[in-house]
Parts: sequence; structure tokens; C-alpha cells
Amino acid sequence: MTPVLAQIESLSAASTSGVLLDLSAVLMLLCAFACLGSKLFDRYVTYYALQSIVLAFAAAVVGHALNQPDLWVLAVATLLIKGIAIPLATRRFLLDRLDLRRDVAISTGLSTSLIIGAALTAFAYLAIRPGTLPHALVASAVVPISTAIILLGGLCMVVRRHTIAQLIGWLILENGVFLGAITLTATFPFIVEAGIFLDLVAAVLIMITFVSGLANRLATASAPELRGLRH
Amino acid sequence: MTALVLLVPVLPLLAALAPLTGVRAPGLGIAVSAGGIGALACAIAVTVDVGSHGAYSAFSGFLYVDALSTFFTITVAIVVTLAGIGSIAYLKTEERRAELDLLQLRLYAIFFALFAGLMLASLETGNLGLLWVLIEASTLASAVLVGLEAKARSLEAAWKYIIISSFGVTMALVATLFLYYSATSLALSPNQRLTWPALFAHAHLLHTDSLRLAFLLAVIGYGTKVGLAPMHTWLPDAHSEAPSPASAMLSAALLNTGMYAIIRFQAVALPELGRYTNRVLLVFGFASIVIGALFMVRRGNFKRLFAYSSVEHMGIISVALGFGGVLGVYGALLHTLNHAIGKCVLFLTSSELVQRWRTRETGEVHGALRAAPLVGGVLLLGSLAIVGSPPFGLFLSEFTIVRAGFHGSSLLTFILLALLVLAFIAFVRSTAGMATGEPQPVDSETTAATSAASAIPLVAGIAGLLVLGLWIPGGLNDLILHSIGAIR
Repeated sequence: MTPVLAQIESLSAASTSGVLLDLSAVLMLLCAFACLGSKLFDRYVTYYALQSIVLAFAAAVVGHALNQPDLWVLAVATLLIKGIAIPLATRRFLLDRLDLRRDVAISTGLSTSLIIGAALTAFAYLAIRPGTLPHALVASAVVPISTAIILLGGLCMVVRRHTIAQLIGWLILENGVFLGAITLTATFPFIVEAGIFLDLVAAVLIMITFVSGLANRLATASAPELRGLRH
Repeated sequence: MTALVLLVPVLPLLAALAPLTGVRAPGLGIAVSAGGIGALACAIAVTVDVGSHGAYSAFSGFLYVDALSTFFTITVAIVVTLAGIGSIAYLKTEERRAELDLLQLRLYAIFFALFAGLMLASLETGNLGLLWVLIEASTLASAVLVGLEAKARSLEAAWKYIIISSFGVTMALVATLFLYYSATSLALSPNQRLTWPALFAHAHLLHTDSLRLAFLLAVIGYGTKVGLAPMHTWLPDAHSEAPSPASAMLSAALLNTGMYAIIRFQAVALPELGRYTNRVLLVFGFASIVIGALFMVRRGNFKRLFAYSSVEHMGIISVALGFGGVLGVYGALLHTLNHAIGKCVLFLTSSELVQRWRTRETGEVHGALRAAPLVGGVLLLGSLAIVGSPPFGLFLSEFTIVRAGFHGSSLLTFILLALLVLAFIAFVRSTAGMATGEPQPVDSETTAATSAASAIPLVAGIAGLLVLGLWIPGGLNDLILHSIGAIR
């Protein structure tokens, strides 16, 4: 058995770290559901911030269990950027400035989207059978749950037409990927992890610029001008 | 050697500093085209070196160049050069008409340079994680170009582009995670498990189920960047709203970068999954050709027409990879190069058309041949080239792909031929109407003669396509064969 494997298996479901990791994953899933079931922009941001804070905790747990200092750095960065900076920036530059409260551009009812979300979660469990992964992994609950979070984030983007709701949906999806990443690939080279993080930050900055630009133009743009792209 | 390889992306990146010197439109354009020419020269030097000494790797695989990467590097560098030269004329005209202010001109130069540099860098890394990071970063840089004109339409297109591609590329990240995980039981260091040459050497030992997931997600994820149907929906909007030289870069360089990533994943998945990988590529390829051809039938915005043609051509390349074998991959790579040059020429032509007629509607442009003989002529020749009529390069590559198809399934090949004919009719019907007929009277300002800067890339591109249609240089032939050797 390679040392990497031995290390990963120290995260087994029975150990304290394994239990904490599973717990964090479940909390993150609940945050995704809460966001899916909400209609207020402010709530979206709150649930995303909560989810990110739990993700930072999970990264710290894995970092502790596998003794990976990289993951500690990642945990702190997650807490500061995803848990605090992005929610703050979204509130200040988008929600407050554009005076957004209630999201009305939802294409399905809330209960319908929650039921679809539940179906997607079940699908995630079916798709990620234990056989899909080479070794009976450890915190075996985490991989299907992170898949479910990815699907729920995608669902948020699909059923909501408002740009900010789509942005939050994508961020939730990204959190799901990160949760999968820290458990599946705790030993990812640090430079790659840092690059992924940098991309995320750049993406959010550009998206915020676009959304505020779009909101400014939309106030004056005539309807036919917008219809041009709809074919 | 390391320095030379690094220069390829760094030279275009240096152009991002041009705005600091305070130069205005022509200077900014010259800076980005100089970056492109420098990158092309270095890429050729690297290719020659890799041709004689084999693959080159440094920084534990973070820098890795083999024949396949050099082939794509040269293709992208050619596109950057042509689009860079095209930018000179574009920026000049926009500045004269004051449609873009100085800040926007500078943003154009900065993000054009970033876009080019990041794409070239992504082709030169062996680390699949870094590949992902660089492709996502180049997406972000290009999104700024799409939204540059800051009208409601272009911002909406840019939003659609960034949100759909980010979604897709995130799937590609999950694919990378699963590929990494499929190598867990191998005796490789964590870094090697993410490094393409190491994975490729152990490809038959990877865990089958997670490899299958990784490959599928990679085709969907990077396929979103490539514009494979049904993930292509961002593409027509982004291509039609971006400044035309940037559309050329999107269509002729960015899509190829995504295809490059798919080829890398397929090479790793092939030994374990076998024909499964080919079937997946065939399905997405045919879907794209059908969607592309059907949407080309409808008349309207000619930049959208070119964009749907890109969807179709990416489908053809994917089908060629799906046919597989030496002949199929040869056709795919040759087609990549030909399509890149051809589409670059067409989008640069559209830049001239848009600036002259101030419309993007096919129905409002007539008599381009009379009003602007060079632009009209290139439009006509470029259209004939892109639909694959002889004597241009795309005929030769499509012919190779069809031959590869007859080695496998004749039925699929006949379907492919029928779709190519449909695309031919749909495309030429639109562009022939634009080139011929009586030009409508236009005011004196817009009838200014075509400038040298905008003529060079058009003429050079058409000449290149003609040469590639009549004769494949020995060096190119060797390069393609070496590229095939690198992934088999």
C-alpha cells in the first residue's frame, strides 16, 4: 500500500475526523437546500456564506487528519474569501446598490424545485456507487454529498433567471467541487489549488462588474434591443 | 530551452504592458501583433527542437511540450498573429469614430494580450490541474473582450458566456479530480498523478469506473468551451457581440484549446476504455454538426452564421477523433489548423464589413465585391474555403476525415457527407448574397480604402489556405505524424 493511501485511510468513517467531515458535508448540503428553497436575495448570500464557513472547517479537519499544511492555508483562504469577502462584496455592490430584495424570476415553484433537488440528491447516491471509487473511501458519505451539492448548485442556476441568483448557484456548485476536492484529492499540488482559487476570485470580480453594468444598462435599454439575442 | 518555451506565452503577455507607455490605438494594435509574431517565431523554434530531441519537460512536469502541444501552439500563435494585425485596423477605426473611449481601447489591448498568453501557456503544461487553471483564466480574459463594447446586448452575451463556460469548466475540474483519483492505487507521487506523461504511461492501470466518469465529464466540461452541442448555446452570442478580431480569437484559438484538452483526456482514457471514447466523441460530434448546419440555414446576423459554422467544424473535428485511427486523428489535426486560419480570415472580414456597413445583418449587405473588392473577394473565397470546396485546405482535411470514416462505418460517413452538403448550401447562400449584387449608396466616410493593416491578415490567410489545399509541407506532415505518435 502506498503511503498516500495509508494517509487517506486515516480519515476512515469511524475516526473523529471522519465523523466531523461527514457532518460538515451534511451541513453544506442543507445550506444548498436552504438556498434552493428561499426567495430572498439576502438569504441566498447568507446561506452561501454559511456553507463556505463549514467548507473552511472541513478543509481544516482534513488538513489536521492528513497533516497537510497546504490545506490549512486553503481553509483560511476559504474562510476569508468565500466566507467573508465574497458575501460582503455581493451585498454591498449588488444587493444594496441595486436595491434587490425578493427574487421573482424563478421558473418553477419552490416546492417543485425542492422535490427536484431531492431527486437529484438520490441520483447522486445512485451514480456514485462505492465501486466507482477505487478504494472504499473513508468518509464515504462525502463524495455523493459533494456530487449532490454540485447538482443542486446547477439546479439553482437553471430554475433562476436572475443573474445574481445564477452567480450564487455557481458559487454553491464550486463549493461542492471543493468539498469533493479536499477529500478525494487531499494531496493536490498546492500551486494548482492556489490557481483554482485565484480563478474563482477573478471570476466573481468580473461577474460582479458585468451584473452591475447590465443592471445600469437595463434601466435604459429598450426591450427590442434585448430580444435580439433570443434566437 | 526552458527560456524559449516560456517566451511563447510571455511575449504576448508583455503586450499587456503597452497601455502603460501611453500609446493610443495604432500603437496598442502594433504591440499585440508584435507579441503574436514573437510567439509564433518562438513556437516554431520550439517545434524544431522538439522535432529533433523529442518531448521536453521541466519543473516536474508543470512545463511539458511534445509534438501535439507544439502543433496546437503554432496554430494558436498563427491566429494570435493574424488577429493581432487585424486589431490595428479595428482599434484605429473605433478610435476615429469615438465608439470606444481610451479606457476601452486599453482594456482591449490588456485582455487581448492576457487571453493570448494564457491560451498559449495552457498548451505548454503537462499538469492537468494547471491546464484547467489556465483554460479557466483565458475564459475570464476573453469574457471581458466579449463585454467590452458595454452595450446591453454585449453585456448580456458576456454574462451568458461567462456563466455557461464557468459551469462547463467546473465540470472539467471535477473530471480532473476523478482522473487524479483513478490513479490512487498507482505508485506515483501526488504531483505525478496529475501530470499527463505519467498518467499516459500508466494509462492501462487506471481505475476503469472513475476513468469513465473523468472522461465523460471532461468531454462535457471542455466540450462546453469547444462549443460541442448541446453545450454550444453561449457561442453564437459571444461570437457575434465580441469585437471581430476577438471573435476570431474565440473561434479559431479558444475552441481549439478546449479540443486540445479533450484530446489529452482521450489519449489517457483510450487504453482502458477503448472504443467507448470514440463513441462518446461521435455522438457529440454529430450533434454539433446537425445543430450547426440547421442554424446556418436561417438568415440573419452574419457573425452568428460564422459562429454556427464553428460549431459545425468543431463537430467535424470531434467526429474525426471519434473515427479514430491514424487517418482520423491526422484529419482532425489538419482540419484544426485549416479551420483556425479560415475562420480567422472570415471573422476579420466581418470586422471590415461591420465597420463599413455598420450592420451585422446579412440582408443589409450587398455588393461587397464592388464596394470593396478586396473585402468582398476575401469574403467569397473565405466562404468557399470554410465550406470545404477545393482547392482550399479544408477540402483536403475533410476528404481525409471522410476516408477515415469509410474505414469504419460507411453509414455514418454518408450521414456526415449529407450534412456537409447542407452546410455548404446554407453558408454560401448567405455569403454569396452579401458579396454580389449592387452596392447600396454609402456615405463618403465609410468608403475609405481598405488599409494595409487590415489587408495583410486577409490576404495572408487566404494564401495560406490555398497552399495547404494544394500541398502539405513536409515539416507540417512530420509534425502531425509526431503529434499522433505522442498520443498513441
